[in-house]
Amino acid sequence: MSGADRFERMIRWYPAGWRARYGDELAALLEDTYGAAPIPLRDRLAMAKAGSVERIRATGLRGETTGQDDRMRAGSLLVLCSWTLFVVAGALFAKFSEHWDAATPLQDRRLPMDGYQAVQWAGAAGVVIVLVAVGVAVPAFIRLVRRGEWSTVRRPVLAAVMMGVVVAAATTGIVEWSHHLGPNDRTRALPGFRVVALTWGVVVVAALATATVGAVSVARRLELSRRSLRVLAAMAVTLTALMAAILVGTVTWWVVVALDAPQFLGSGAWSTSNVLPPPLLVAGGLMVIGLGAAIVGTACVAGAARTVNQSAP
Amino acid sequence: MATKPSSAPRGLGRNNEPSVLILTSLASGTKHGYALTKDIEAFAGVTLGPGTLYGAISRLEERGLIEPTGGDERRRPYRITASGLAALTEAVRAMRSLADEGALRLGLGALARVVGADPAPIGWAR
Repeated sequence: MSGADRFERMIRWYPAGWRARYGDELAALLEDTYGAAPIPLRDRLAMAKAGSVERIRATGLRGETTGQDDRMRAGSLLVLCSWTLFVVAGALFAKFSEHWDAATPLQDRRLPMDGYQAVQWAGAAGVVIVLVAVGVAVPAFIRLVRRGEWSTVRRPVLAAVMMGVVVAAATTGIVEWSHHLGPNDRTRALPGFRVVALTWGVVVVAALATATVGAVSVARRLELSRRSLRVLAAMAVTLTALMAAILVGTVTWWVVVALDAPQFLGSGAWSTSNVLPPPLLVAGGLMVIGLGAAIVGTACVAGAARTVNQSAP
Repeated sequence: MATKPSSAPRGLGRNNEPSVLILTSLASGTKHGYALTKDIEAFAGVTLGPGTLYGAISRLEERGLIEPTGGDERRRPYRITASGLAALTEAVRAMRSLADEGALRLGLGALARVVGADPAPIGWAR
């Protein structure tokens, strides 16, 4: 690898817009600073950190020159990304907790049922909020297309649509196949089905990620009025509260079932522990990360709204 | 007691922050990235890593406190703008005010002038 290549690689983590403006200069500075000498690990890490800071600034979440509207939009989009994590976590939870009530003594079902229903209701309300948010953004998307800016969002949108088609086809195929199998074939006796089901799950997660990237790419380019931004920001804050409710509901269900019906938590094919089954650990981890990110986004939205209110005449 | 500024002008921060060091360096003339690093090392004893330096340069340029001049595209020199000079002047006044207050409270009034001429290395984590 040539010296220039080595320096180019070091700045690859910076966002494209920043690299276009400062990339050559930074590469020249690295060249002047290190020449042919090895670059210390500490300096490599410092560059990675600086690149991460520029990435965060590029999203609009930080940066003193970022406008309040952009900050509000960036915060709302971070909440949307967090919601995607919750969708994945919620699907894992829903699959794992199937038929839990049959394994739990009748007198011990009330509290976990409350937690379980809280997850279901908050999940449904979250889906409605996301759909309404899409509805709020549709007119701005139509204006974007009419302005002739379709080419700027074509790639991520088409990728999301294609992944949606792949998921629909895969789902149809797997549902058709499962209709020809008995319950034992699906759960235990047919390892091939499990592999296919797992692959389908990975494809669904990839489709969700692609859809989120597409939505973020489009939303960053939409011309939204301050009123629309405020509506979307309010939805983002509500969504964060629903995510908190989902996490609390999940933890409540988990703790009570672990106390009253530990055999259920340890009975799944992937479970090795009575209280900490891997699927629930993954779901819980995703929820905690998602809620943390959503709180950051909400703080960003709230800070921007406060600044706008203070500067209003 | 006289009211003292509570902090440096918005965005410039403390006296060892990269933006203040860069503006101070550019106050004596245009420089490109490597020349800035060496100059700051010489007058402040602080080594700014490349990522830190260019992060600060991009923010200063965004805020109109410095601007690129013509010349080599890869080793582009920067100069301080009129707004940059004003911001640096404010920052220096605030620092001086703080230093004077500190010296006064420590009873180092006479010593402060001597110390002021010989800035100690501040130590900047990359």
